[in-house]
Amino acid sequence: MKKVFLLSLVLLLTGCNITVLDPKSETASEQAFLITFSFWIMMIVVVTVFILFARFVWKYRYTNSRKHILPKDVKGNIKLEITWIIIPVLLLIILAVPTLAITYDQSPEWTKESEDAGIEIDVTGKQFNWLFRHRNGKEEMDKLVIPEGESIILNLRSEDVIHSFWVPELGGKVDVMPGKELTYEIKHPQRGTYQGKCAEYCGLGHTDMTFQVEVVSTQAYAQYLHQ
Amino acid sequence: MERVMIMRKQEAELFQDKKVGFFIYLGVEAVMFAVLFATYMIFTPAGSGPYPSDVFQAEMVLLSSLFLLSSSVTLYVAEKGIQARKGKKTLLSLGLTLGLAIVFLGLESYEFYTFVQEGYGLSTSVFLSSFYVLVGLHAAHVTFGIGWMIVLFIHYVRPNVSYSLYKEKQTIFSYYWHFVDCIWVFIILIVYLPYLV
Amino acid sequence: MKLSVFGYELVIPTDIIAAWVSVILIGIVAGYIIIKKRKLGVVWDYMKTTNHRKIGILYLLFGIIYFFRAGVDALLIRTQLAVPNNDFWVFQGEKYNELFTTHGTLMIFFVAMPLLLGLMNIAVPLQIGAKDLAFPFLNSLGFWLFFAGSLFFNIAFFLNLTPEVGWTGYAPLSRAEFTPGAGTEFYVFGLQISGLGTIFTALNLIVTIIRHRAPGMSYTRMPLFAWASLITSFLILIAFTVLAIALYLLMFDRLFGTGFFSGDEGDPVFWQHLFWIFGHPEVYILALPAFGIFSDIISTFSKKRIFGYGTMVASIVLIGFLGFMVWVHHMFTVGLGPVVNTFFAITTMAIAIPTGIKVFNWLFTMRGGVIHFTTPMLFALGFIPSFVIGGVTGVMLSLSAADFQFHDTHFVVAHFHYVIIASTILGVFAGLYYWYPKITGYMLDEKLGKWHFWTFLIGYHITFFPMHITGLEGMPRRVYTYSEADGIFILNAISTVGAFLMGISMLFVIWNVYKTHKKKKKVSGDPWDGRTLEWTVSSPAPEHTFEPMPVIHSMDAYWYAKVKNKPLPATTNVRVKPLERDSIQPFCIAMSLFIVSTGLTFRWYWLAILGGVMLFALLILRSITDEREDFYGKSDDHA
Repeated sequence: MKKVFLLSLVLLLTGCNITVLDPKSETASEQAFLITFSFWIMMIVVVTVFILFARFVWKYRYTNSRKHILPKDVKGNIKLEITWIIIPVLLLIILAVPTLAITYDQSPEWTKESEDAGIEIDVTGKQFNWLFRHRNGKEEMDKLVIPEGESIILNLRSEDVIHSFWVPELGGKVDVMPGKELTYEIKHPQRGTYQGKCAEYCGLGHTDMTFQVEVVSTQAYAQYLHQ
Repeated sequence: MERVMIMRKQEAELFQDKKVGFFIYLGVEAVMFAVLFATYMIFTPAGSGPYPSDVFQAEMVLLSSLFLLSSSVTLYVAEKGIQARKGKKTLLSLGLTLGLAIVFLGLESYEFYTFVQEGYGLSTSVFLSSFYVLVGLHAAHVTFGIGWMIVLFIHYVRPNVSYSLYKEKQTIFSYYWHFVDCIWVFIILIVYLPYLV
Repeated sequence: MKLSVFGYELVIPTDIIAAWVSVILIGIVAGYIIIKKRKLGVVWDYMKTTNHRKIGILYLLFGIIYFFRAGVDALLIRTQLAVPNNDFWVFQGEKYNELFTTHGTLMIFFVAMPLLLGLMNIAVPLQIGAKDLAFPFLNSLGFWLFFAGSLFFNIAFFLNLTPEVGWTGYAPLSRAEFTPGAGTEFYVFGLQISGLGTIFTALNLIVTIIRHRAPGMSYTRMPLFAWASLITSFLILIAFTVLAIALYLLMFDRLFGTGFFSGDEGDPVFWQHLFWIFGHPEVYILALPAFGIFSDIISTFSKKRIFGYGTMVASIVLIGFLGFMVWVHHMFTVGLGPVVNTFFAITTMAIAIPTGIKVFNWLFTMRGGVIHFTTPMLFALGFIPSFVIGGVTGVMLSLSAADFQFHDTHFVVAHFHYVIIASTILGVFAGLYYWYPKITGYMLDEKLGKWHFWTFLIGYHITFFPMHITGLEGMPRRVYTYSEADGIFILNAISTVGAFLMGISMLFVIWNVYKTHKKKKKVSGDPWDGRTLEWTVSSPAPEHTFEPMPVIHSMDAYWYAKVKNKPLPATTNVRVKPLERDSIQPFCIAMSLFIVSTGLTFRWYWLAILGGVMLFALLILRSITDEREDFYGKSDDHA
């Protein structure tokens, strides 16, 4: 068990080619930062517990020489117990600060004012396809073309059940709700082709409800709009 | 004499168990109604469909409230009667409670009937849906209470039921009934009143 | 498979046929054994019983049966996911959706809940010196309601009507317009009936713990399992009631055309709120009793009193309380805005603090002790590091912006399997090995138990650890396949191997139980050199316990009595014990609700009404056959 853990730790250390941790937009970078940051903070906890655990289990194990020992009762230790209240609180505060900052930064309402600065695209989810509608009225099914380096504002809406819009390289999920429009912003995507998927179970064709995202140059995007 | 004392003590212990258990149960019921009240508040008034004040009729609410709330008073008299071992008083006021409950249920059914006649059915709008599931569940509680009272009468005459046991049964019932009445007060305050004033 | 019956073309999927065949075969074998060994009387006895130990056994028995079924579902899921673009048997698309729905629903409601309630039923009264649960009839009713609900849910599969809405039943997918079949009704009514039973049992446990403790057994001396059961029961009362109303509303949506959870007039997010106001406390309902079991076991096998009893109790209470304030962390992506999201992110993080206290207190209980590596203790030891891994991923998930990435991926799958298996499942196994002598009078084989522990623990980590990475690689939950280009083949294959190792580990359990009951080696009342009251009664626990009643002067009173080599002081001056009389009525009441549900599911309203009439007739019957009537004696004058 510990071996598996160490193995994957090495994996995390060496190979940042894991999709989510290899972000291709500013939005996803912020999220990846939060993930790695919290991972290392949490490793402090894991390592502490594992060391104490291994030490106690080994040192106080039953052996023939300790057969007749009647352990002394310890009712508790206020100082120790306060220690393991204070330290986690501090760790959590360290985690909470960037969480708050990034969550506010990435939440739709927060970005409302910057809307005019971005490229707006209407996204409609329905069982089991995606429809992308660009500003000039151009529509395409299951393929989203966006320009690099811009701020992309997605207005998402569903025609039937709840779906969830997700392009791991470019950003987190946002649900696509019936009867309510949500907004999500992808900041500064990098050029490339990525796969997007539906991340909220939506019925029979959920697995196949994927789409392609192409981040292209600004000129190519302009061309695409008029194709 | 000592045996009687022990018996009384044991009965009291068992009854205390029952009471604690039943109060916890009423807590469960309270949570249940609280969620339904929340549902009602979220969905009322609905975006489409009739507006609550067009649907509700103040006279009807007033009338049915009068019957249901006074049934709590008559039940209180029945409690006093059972404490004082006054059989006639107990039975009479319990019967009165039953009668008031039946009238209330009749009025409420009539209210629902007129609503449906006017085209305000269960699935007309979310407001009406949340109205019916809440007030309907309350009506179901009243119906259950009516059945319970009838069973109480049966217990009263059954020779197998001792007086102290009957007393316990009626006491537990009265907690139930006061609770159901209390919910009705909340229904008036939350469901009707904001749209009738 | 296509069949032609009386000229009708019937298409029956082969998995259903396989299920029918295996159930009929098992039924025939079981029936044969029961009749051959003349055990029909025992079956009848258990159907009527109101004794807490026997009802506990029933809970455990059915919990384990469903554990095997849901486990097989898990193996089918893992087989389908073993390689990219797999086409295993019928489990793509619809069948796969049914599979994970069944697996989730069964494991939470019909495996974890009954196993924990079973252990509580058996151990709590014995630990606190109660002679039975406060309301034996209600206890029996609670079990049979659970049974009726679970039966109803399980039958769906055999009729090829399995629900496919996920165990979370998210609307509007769960509304009739999108899942028109009767499948979802099985979900709604199955959970509704069994949830009712769970509420009754929780109520019963609370009254028992509040009112039936032995003299001197104050709240500050109560074993931690009893404490955990008390708090858990309160959580059940609130959480399951909210679920009941959520299901009630969904029933109206499906059956009677209301629009509570529809996208146009209602609000699909309202369902999510209600579901998670139930669903998150549910996680603590599953974890807290396990914490209690581990506390007792770690203390027993370290031969040392629990470290920081006061903070242990306080943290249970705090976890229970905070458990109701974090539900939105399941809904960070539904667009509730940054204020709500960060608020719930912080409350979620806060839960790490009381949980951390518990972990360190367990560690320091072992410090300075003499740790005996018995099977229950091994499970407790396996729990600590595993749970910490699940706990820290929990904190990572609570960071709302990071959760935009984690949400609904296999990272989440890894997280909740880590915490639930580490706490609930390992806890239940620990409890089963620990209390098995108290339940049956026999001790499970230690060697096989250790085999079970190691294969299970290793299998569990092999299965779920890689899922953290597949999730971060972009694999969503609830998909039946992936492509080679996703680069997650090896990790998925490893998970599948692990799952089968867990499957194999369960064979050790079957072998162990068989061997133990073959050997029939009786054990004493106190085989583990225990600390708490359950070890003062003989094994298996008799129907009439604590005569005379011990008087408690400290926590772990039995242990200190043994240390001082003195018997526990006892008294005969005790409160009256709960009245009990065997009755088949609870079974019938539960079955009448089963009938009502069948009627509503298939819109045979006459059947539903018939079931309802039966229910009320049975309630009246119950009222006039009250066991208190005999106890209170005949009627004196009514005047």
